[in-house]
Amino acid sequence: MSLEKEQVIVDTILQKAPYAEGKVRRQRRIEFKIPADRIRDFLTLLKENNFESMMQITAVDWPKDGEIELVYQMWSYTYAVHAFVKTRIPRDVDKAKVPSVRDIYPAAETYERDAHEFYKVTFEGNDKLEMPWILEDEDREAGVSHRKDFDMLSYVKRKYKLLDRFEEDKENYVI
Amino acid sequence: MVSQQELIREARENGMELLPLEKDTYELFFGPQHMATENYSLILKMDGNRVVKAIANPGFLHRGFEKLAEYRPWYTNIALLLRICVPEPDVPEAIYSMAVDELMGWEVPERAQWIRTTVLEMARVSAYLFWTMGMAFKLGVYTAGQWAAAYRERFMALFEQLTGARVYHIYTIPGGVRRDIPGDKWLRQLKDTVEYLKDKLKDFDNVLFENYITFKRLEGIGVMDKKFALEEGVTGPNLRATGVRADVRKLDPYLLYPELDFEVPVLREGDALARALVRRFELEQDLYILEQLLEMGPPSGPYKVEHAGFKALPRFKVPAGDAYAHVESSKGDFGAYVVSDGGNKPYRVQIRGPSIAHGIRVIEQLLVGARLADVPVILVSLDNCPPDIDR
Repeated sequence: MSLEKEQVIVDTILQKAPYAEGKVRRQRRIEFKIPADRIRDFLTLLKENNFESMMQITAVDWPKDGEIELVYQMWSYTYAVHAFVKTRIPRDVDKAKVPSVRDIYPAAETYERDAHEFYKVTFEGNDKLEMPWILEDEDREAGVSHRKDFDMLSYVKRKYKLLDRFEEDKENYVI
Repeated sequence: MVSQQELIREARENGMELLPLEKDTYELFFGPQHMATENYSLILKMDGNRVVKAIANPGFLHRGFEKLAEYRPWYTNIALLLRICVPEPDVPEAIYSMAVDELMGWEVPERAQWIRTTVLEMARVSAYLFWTMGMAFKLGVYTAGQWAAAYRERFMALFEQLTGARVYHIYTIPGGVRRDIPGDKWLRQLKDTVEYLKDKLKDFDNVLFENYITFKRLEGIGVMDKKFALEEGVTGPNLRATGVRADVRKLDPYLLYPELDFEVPVLREGDALARALVRRFELEQDLYILEQLLEMGPPSGPYKVEHAGFKALPRFKVPAGDAYAHVESSKGDFGAYVVSDGGNKPYRVQIRGPSIAHGIRVIEQLLVGARLADVPVILVSLDNCPPDIDR
């Protein structure tokens, strides 16, 4: 199984983007790590290099490092290669900001809304972030819903008014 | 002949009081109770019969699958994640299992690969039949819709024999499949069903796909071009209807697909009719693939990887890392991104449904200018699966 095609793509892109780190993961999977402020430059470069579609933006919470990792997943129909573009931003709600890439990949708008609602990452330049998908009221006390420090137990107790029953038989409620 | 506008203008100049020239627009709530929307809702701003603006609201299904998956052991997540797409629940099972296989570094046994491929193709056929039923009902061709429902029932019965459940199968697991195929009788039944359905495709053509009504209703509505579709991340039959020959089974082959011979149907028009016809051709190709698989026959050997974890599933651990696996479902490119921190539960699971691309932004743009009667048809021609969007 040769990885020449993938290596050529990684080399070509790294030549034009010296700030990035890149590697071949396996056949048809490549990976880049970039600083968060260069995300727009890098995705523009990827689009010029035949990565036509954005598959999704994933946010992964790493509370130990105090960071949120954003994974931009790109797919190229020309090369049949999937690219992971990873960048890390601070975890504080005030500092968790990254420029929006909506004008480069229009599909990004949806995924940015998704990441904003569940991880409170602000994508500067996307004006549709405030449109909520969860219809029920957000529980501010329990935290941001998909982050690791979200207190699911207390949320469920408050939400479904299970407080008294919980106290009676705690052992039967295992979450 | 004097036009109405001129009459009104003249009356205005003569000092007559009339209603304002601009027609008032009104808001129409389309769904989630409407039959065409399938637990999905649209807020339409209408000018008479025409849609001026559309806002999609898929937020009726949020059950937090991705968050719940972080609280459950690796194996039990199968029973949760498959609920993401009701018409073809085998696809989320398969992508999650494939991602875990990659993290574990497992090579799945040949027999399990054959069974997984067969199950995925059966799921595709039954999902296409489900879509045919929906489309036929929206067009008013009820006969074809009822046939499609009845033929899908045969596949459900086969699934029941294979997995023990009709709708939610919980069958594909990391490392293989949960149990072996029931025997030669099941294979014979599958073969009969495939042959039977292949014969009946002609009837579908006569009644639905070569029908004058279908052409008149679907032609030229909801048109998208190649560039737009690629930028918006549209995949699957909807992308192929715009002229892009893209199929995950060919581009990023998995399971037994490199050994199988099949074609990827492509049309150029990009309208609802092209999308419907691409699905019709896909159905034929899927039946052809199933025939080949049955001819090949299941290879002998184990149907799952044997490992120490099976004896204590809650303590089963996966090495740290991340993996992405995707398959071609009947709706498009279905992918799962799985992150592990080395524990007995996934650290993060994100499912990339194909409907998230065309369920929000694309539908909002395609509906502008459409007539109200065409809204359900455009919706069904895109083949949305709302739980994909709002997981």
